[in-house]
Amino acid sequence: MPKYIVEMKSIEKAFGGNKVLHGVDFCLQKGSVHALLGENGTGKTTLMNILGGVIPCDKGEIYINNVRTKINSPSDAENYNIAFIHQEIMLINDLCIYENLFLGNELKKGSIINKKAMIHKSRNILNNMGIELDPSALTSTLTASYKQIIEIASALLKNAKVIIMDEPTASLNHTEIERIFMIMETLRTKGVSFIFISHKLNEVLKICDHFTVMRDGSIVISDRLTAEIDEHKLAGYMVGTEVSFNSAYSPRTIGKVILETKNLSHKKYFENINLTLSQNEIIGITGLLGDGRSELFATIYGCNPEYTGEIIVNGKKENLSSTSMAKKLGISYLPNNRKEKGIIKDLSISQNMSIAILDKLKGLFLINKRNEFSSNKNFVKKLNIKLHSLNNSILNLSGGNQQKVILAKTLSSKPSILILDNPTQGVDIYAKFEIYNIITKLAESGVGVVILSNEPQEIINLCDRIYVMYQGEIKKEFNHNEASQKKIMIIATGGTL
Amino acid sequence: MKSILNKDNFKDFTNQNSAFIAFIGLFLLAIITCGTTFLNMGNLMNILRNNSIIGIVSLGATLVIINGSIDLSVGSQLALTGLIAVSIINTTQSILLGIIISLISAIVFGSITGWLVAKFDVPAFIVTLGTMTIYRSLSQYLFDGGGLLVSGKSAKTFISISNTNLFNVIPLPIIFWLVLAFIISFFMSNTPTGRYIYAVGSNEKATRLSGININRVKVYTFIISGVFISIAGIVEASRLGSINSASSGISYEMDAITSVVIGGTSMSGGRGRIIGTVFGTLTIGVINNMMNLFGVPPFLVGAVKGMIIIIAVLFQKRLNIKENN
Repeated sequence: MPKYIVEMKSIEKAFGGNKVLHGVDFCLQKGSVHALLGENGTGKTTLMNILGGVIPCDKGEIYINNVRTKINSPSDAENYNIAFIHQEIMLINDLCIYENLFLGNELKKGSIINKKAMIHKSRNILNNMGIELDPSALTSTLTASYKQIIEIASALLKNAKVIIMDEPTASLNHTEIERIFMIMETLRTKGVSFIFISHKLNEVLKICDHFTVMRDGSIVISDRLTAEIDEHKLAGYMVGTEVSFNSAYSPRTIGKVILETKNLSHKKYFENINLTLSQNEIIGITGLLGDGRSELFATIYGCNPEYTGEIIVNGKKENLSSTSMAKKLGISYLPNNRKEKGIIKDLSISQNMSIAILDKLKGLFLINKRNEFSSNKNFVKKLNIKLHSLNNSILNLSGGNQQKVILAKTLSSKPSILILDNPTQGVDIYAKFEIYNIITKLAESGVGVVILSNEPQEIINLCDRIYVMYQGEIKKEFNHNEASQKKIMIIATGGTL
Repeated sequence: MKSILNKDNFKDFTNQNSAFIAFIGLFLLAIITCGTTFLNMGNLMNILRNNSIIGIVSLGATLVIINGSIDLSVGSQLALTGLIAVSIINTTQSILLGIIISLISAIVFGSITGWLVAKFDVPAFIVTLGTMTIYRSLSQYLFDGGGLLVSGKSAKTFISISNTNLFNVIPLPIIFWLVLAFIISFFMSNTPTGRYIYAVGSNEKATRLSGININRVKVYTFIISGVFISIAGIVEASRLGSINSASSGISYEMDAITSVVIGGTSMSGGRGRIIGTVFGTLTIGVINNMMNLFGVPPFLVGAVKGMIIIIAVLFQKRLNIKENN
């Protein structure tokens, strides 16, 4: 019995003269959950794309169960029982769950699709995973975590023995992550191996038994995940130096109130919201899925004009009926789903960054391209965005760098009220701390910042005050000093202290 | 290293200019097969002039399609605004007034379409299917389903607008077309509104969340397109000395969409270039001309044209796929 189910040897890959993998060796043991770590743009996804048959490698060998193989396409990978669950969910929203599960491999009776058999088999798979879902429900009705689970189910349906998961937990909350982990654990005991790409080191320590760290296209270390390895050590391998995990928080003098809501309600999403935000202040809003925090702040940004109650900006009651109205009032907003609401895929990096301030960058009629360039250049430096040229397509960037571009866009209008929904989505540790620093600096300069996050630690590290929401209502407000992960979790799950 | 760079540059070039390359290919084919019957000044000017009206309409249609919409009403709107211009000129004998009122009505029509599409989120396909029928019906009702000749003292001056040759060589409609193409191309790449038109077509949600009034962008797009249609209508009325409520502008929407698509603009919005559309229009012009020269039976022209359109687009797709790998 071979020890390794997958062995990749001396893999090299270059994109148009830009070498991204320098002879990488990677081995995956049978029945293990193997973390693949590294900062954004170090070649993790490229390596996995090669294993998944998405792109070919320039040089190197791949062995599956000790047999040398060539994986030229995703369907080749499927034949070797390798499934790749991408960072972006690839389900078709308008199809039912079972239709997505069997997409391309429909069961047939003669030449007619056998719905009954597919629904039955889907139900079996979902039951095996311990999930109660109606296979004929529409996929669009599912939340992000269940969509992720459907992706795993679809991999299992194809008999996958190796499942690659690229940041599966990026858009999930605590309970949902637990759910995914339970399923991974169950499958591991059945001999399925996982490659787990993530930036959340606490999760890695929890679920993984092996780890590999990549830096600049090479392997730094690949080993068993033993007890003496902690988050600090892993982070150190990733950035090459020791990283300080000390809380970035230091108290600030808080200015006057700039945003206030009175009995703000929306018939679908939230009820009786009363909150305040002052100059120089960072407030955090957290909760579990369905808490309504994203919808609440989308409303304050002018996305849902049919609200009731009052929104008071700078002491004046305002009617937030459109996003351009919100922008005029000095509010800026970073959306929570980068692919759907953040990046404009046909525009260049530069054009994505400056879209919100074109009216400021123009002369009488025309965009002043020199000002545009220098403004963008400034952000590239300030946010440490790694790119070849500002004129490239934004799709050329890694996820973390895309996130920084969207952050740059959000900051470009020099807002006095800054709403950041999940600002560190898909961003590596190093970049995360850079972003935390930027947020803190903005607050010091007078901006009022709202951070929406499902990571209590992130909120505790940054915020002066914390609101915890549960099913559309604010259940509790904490000061920085009172808050703890445990307390937040209790309130967020509907409990009382 | 250097050779790799050059290869990349070449790929970039072919990708961005696929419409141009397809046109050049066809042009060479025409020269090889038809020789000087094709390649002479008179014939070339003919091609340009015959396509300048569709060319102008296509410029506006490019904006609409880049913005993620579609406009099916261009033909009937051309007839209606053309009729408005001619009837004002006939009654007041003021060419300027006729042109201005025609342009103003185009702005009104564009605003209404844009407002319906933006405010009520009705698909542009449906809205313009409706306005297409409305404009045509109104034109035919107001002018009894017939034509309107340019008449009176000003008729001669008005007709000379489209029938004068600059330096005795280049017909003015060609100049109008190319100048408008240049202006709108510059507008698209240098003004905020131009940038927003691309952005809305690419990702409406993200554009809105960047604090941009996307409804206004949509309305502007239809207004600009309407103005181009009105100009094309005036050029057409001047060229023929008349305009017909039943037959003017028939199937222009399809010709315009064809030019835009051959020009490499994505039907799903967000991507496309004005210069591509110009070459798209020219490609169709050359195809039509070649078939004329070959003496292809008139009823077969459509079949041949259709095939060449599909081949041209497949060819472009191939270039794009190569680029992506």
